[in-house]
Amino acid sequence: MAVVRTLLYLVVYPGLLFLFLYSTFCEWFDRKVYARFQNRMGPTHTGRFGLLQPIADFVKLLSKEDVVPEAADKRLFAVLPIIGLAVVSTAGLLLPVWNFDLANPGWTSFSGDIIVMLYLLSLPTLILFLAAWSSTNLFSTIGGARVLTMLFGYEVPLFLAVLSPAILANSWRLAEIAAFYQRKPLLLLPNLLAFIIALIAVQAKLERTPFDIPHAETEIVGGTFTEYSGKKLALFRLTFDIELVVSSGLLAAVFLGGFPGGAVVGFIHFVVKTLFVIFLLCLLRALTSRIRVDQVISFAWKYLAPLAVLQLLAIILLKGFLP
Amino acid sequence: MSFQIPIGPQHPALKEPISLRMTVEGEVITGVDIRLGYNHRGLEKLAEDRNWTQNIYLVERICGICSHSHATCYVQGVEKLMELAPPKRGLYIRYLVSELERIHSHLLWLGVAGHEAGFDSFFMYVWRDREVVMDLLELITGNRVHYAINTLGGVRRDLDAGQIAKIRDGLVVLRKRSEYYFHIGANEPSFVARIAGVGYLSKEKAVALCAVGPTARASGWARDVRKEDPYAVYDEVDFDVATADSCDVLGRVVVRVKELLESYKICEQILDKLPPGDIAVKAPRKAKPGEVVSRYEAPRGENIHYIKSNGTDKPERLKVRAPTLGNYPATVEMLRKGFIADIPLIFAAIDPCICCAERSVTLIDAGSGEESVARMSDLRRRAIVRHENAPLKRNAVWPL
Amino acid sequence: MKIAVFLPELLRHLFKKPATVDYPFKKLEVPKDFRGTPYLNPEMCIACRACERDCPAEAIEISSVNEAEKRFRMVIHNDRCIHCAQCVDSCPTTPKAMQMDSLFEIACDDRHKLKTDWVYVRAVLKPKAAAPAAAPQAAEPKT
Ligand code: SF4
Ligand code: SF4
Repeated sequence: MAVVRTLLYLVVYPGLLFLFLYSTFCEWFDRKVYARFQNRMGPTHTGRFGLLQPIADFVKLLSKEDVVPEAADKRLFAVLPIIGLAVVSTAGLLLPVWNFDLANPGWTSFSGDIIVMLYLLSLPTLILFLAAWSSTNLFSTIGGARVLTMLFGYEVPLFLAVLSPAILANSWRLAEIAAFYQRKPLLLLPNLLAFIIALIAVQAKLERTPFDIPHAETEIVGGTFTEYSGKKLALFRLTFDIELVVSSGLLAAVFLGGFPGGAVVGFIHFVVKTLFVIFLLCLLRALTSRIRVDQVISFAWKYLAPLAVLQLLAIILLKGFLP
Repeated sequence: MSFQIPIGPQHPALKEPISLRMTVEGEVITGVDIRLGYNHRGLEKLAEDRNWTQNIYLVERICGICSHSHATCYVQGVEKLMELAPPKRGLYIRYLVSELERIHSHLLWLGVAGHEAGFDSFFMYVWRDREVVMDLLELITGNRVHYAINTLGGVRRDLDAGQIAKIRDGLVVLRKRSEYYFHIGANEPSFVARIAGVGYLSKEKAVALCAVGPTARASGWARDVRKEDPYAVYDEVDFDVATADSCDVLGRVVVRVKELLESYKICEQILDKLPPGDIAVKAPRKAKPGEVVSRYEAPRGENIHYIKSNGTDKPERLKVRAPTLGNYPATVEMLRKGFIADIPLIFAAIDPCICCAERSVTLIDAGSGEESVARMSDLRRRAIVRHENAPLKRNAVWPL
Repeated sequence: MKIAVFLPELLRHLFKKPATVDYPFKKLEVPKDFRGTPYLNPEMCIACRACERDCPAEAIEISSVNEAEKRFRMVIHNDRCIHCAQCVDSCPTTPKAMQMDSLFEIACDDRHKLKTDWVYVRAVLKPKAAAPAAAPQAAEPKT
């Protein structure tokens, strides 16, 4: 019985199937809102309101020819998209939506899972870099170099920003952090700055405008994905969609008070809050133009990191004053 | 590590085939080489086989965006050859369409610049508002892209009061939106940070390399055929030549937006002064022997047509110098020492129209910016020489 | 320099109707004088071939079917036509034998289907005669 449960947990809910469906929904939401910001229609004709468009895109990509470049390391090239997908889906399991029992830490909710989650979310970046490098294409290589360069910019501010609410809550477990802020919602306010920093960093992590530098199509064609096609590209795109869901879930858990109220109400909280975070990310995307990779680094280290440190200091001071 | 990246002939940033080879070190460009000739259509030869009337529509199809520029430039030249004086009303309508075309072209460019800089919202809004002027053009001429309003000796369609009122309404909307974009462009920090100081071209260099159009004007060189050599109606309307001194992509954006505002002014004056009368005179089928050079300020810069007639109903020679060709040497100069990320911006900032420029095989020496036009026999000779000197590399790899 | 100047514009449009026209389901009106596809009004055509001579795309083809009967055949190759309406301008008759309609959705999966042809007897237009009476029996257009 336990085996079946675990399998269901991994494959259906909240595992692959659910993450797949929900991430396509989030992609649809993102595209639709983006389109509306630009006075366009967005996906319209596939399914009701175009809801099935991301799935249609996915299926279409699956059926496309899959070309592997001669010079590429074939095995690495093929296996990277799968690893990427596995990593982000694993990160998805750690969200405190499906495992909210405080008294009873399990293997998806334990002290320190916030750190594990952050690391799992960093891995796709490295996988992207490897993918770019292993495809040996010139544009991919430049894209890969840009991926890594950007990583050095946004990773530290993201960690600092996400850790400051954890410090205030005095816990390294997502469920406990969320529970802490559910008890004291006012304490979410001091973390506002960290929330903004984390939003920007997540935008960079997801490589969306203004940080879509590694695959800026007007400069370096497909960037990291230039040589990827067919199934592998579909998997990469799915990876990004799931990463979008998981990172917004993380931000919601840490900065927006988590998902209280048990399985059903908690789930509604989850949907509303992730969509809210995605809405903000989408607004950021519509609002800005792409910047250069050197500007990302200087922006991250000149503004984001010092602000994050400041936030951390403020939190520590605040903690001293709190009972 | 220094390596070459090929931009084009197929590349998402370029809507038309051209090849730029960049030698880059890290993200910095150290050398540039432009290769042309992917889109040669033999249009000039074709023109020798068509009569004067047919050629209007042929030259119109040199370019989709500045179609009216080429047609007008050609028609001006042929009218000079045929010694025709088009009636005033015809001229006013012709240059009204010219200015509307400039508006549509600059708006299009503004959107593309936004897209190249990754500012897609800006792109979408500008192109939405560009529809206003496209609709006006369709209303006046009967088509969105190839207006075909010119004919030898005037224009083919008249304006009625309803159309004039609609144009005026459209201009009001457009002016409001352009001012708004000017405001956005000047205030959106990530956009400005992205284009300021990019693609520097000093005034001396611009003069030395014969830059034309907004590219030259953004380097502080007030060069505009409409002012320097006013043709047709341009000495009767009041407008300023927009310039900027910043010599970079930001300057080119500013110049184009200012030109938009000037164009609205010109359009309104044309509509105010629109004289009554005929719109065209009848043109003969044959032109007297002779040759003529016609100049026209297209949205992208000075457009030159050279037409030679031998007394028949067909031209003996038609030579087109499109503005983009004049800007290539300057582009090479601008690209050098830039970042990879700036290539599309810089290249797009000259508003390249590659199919316009593909008239002959032109080799540009990346070192000096000198141009040399090669004939086919010459090219073949060079190819043979190169083939002999450089044996085929069997296991050629990316130079990484 | 302000941050996020575009924000009001974006938010204003969030709940507005999109500017896009949902094309195949909704269509825009074309203006009155839109240049669509050329067609022949065979009762009026005097087979002077002015249109054939001036067509830049060589899309009009006029051939004589029967010399004695003065029967002509005109083919308009719509696949070549560039919709410039020069044929209409060149046509000397009043009212014009060659005219433009305002159809623009003429795309088709086979270029040969785009040909239209008419076989007709040449009209003899006497300067003063009322047009339809003077025109001899005209053939039906066949596609
Ligand atoms: S519209 Fe132009 S291209 Fe078409 S048939 Fe008439 S003259 Fe020829
Ligand atoms: S359509 Fe007009 S121009 Fe053409 S042959 Fe007939 S009468 Fe002449």
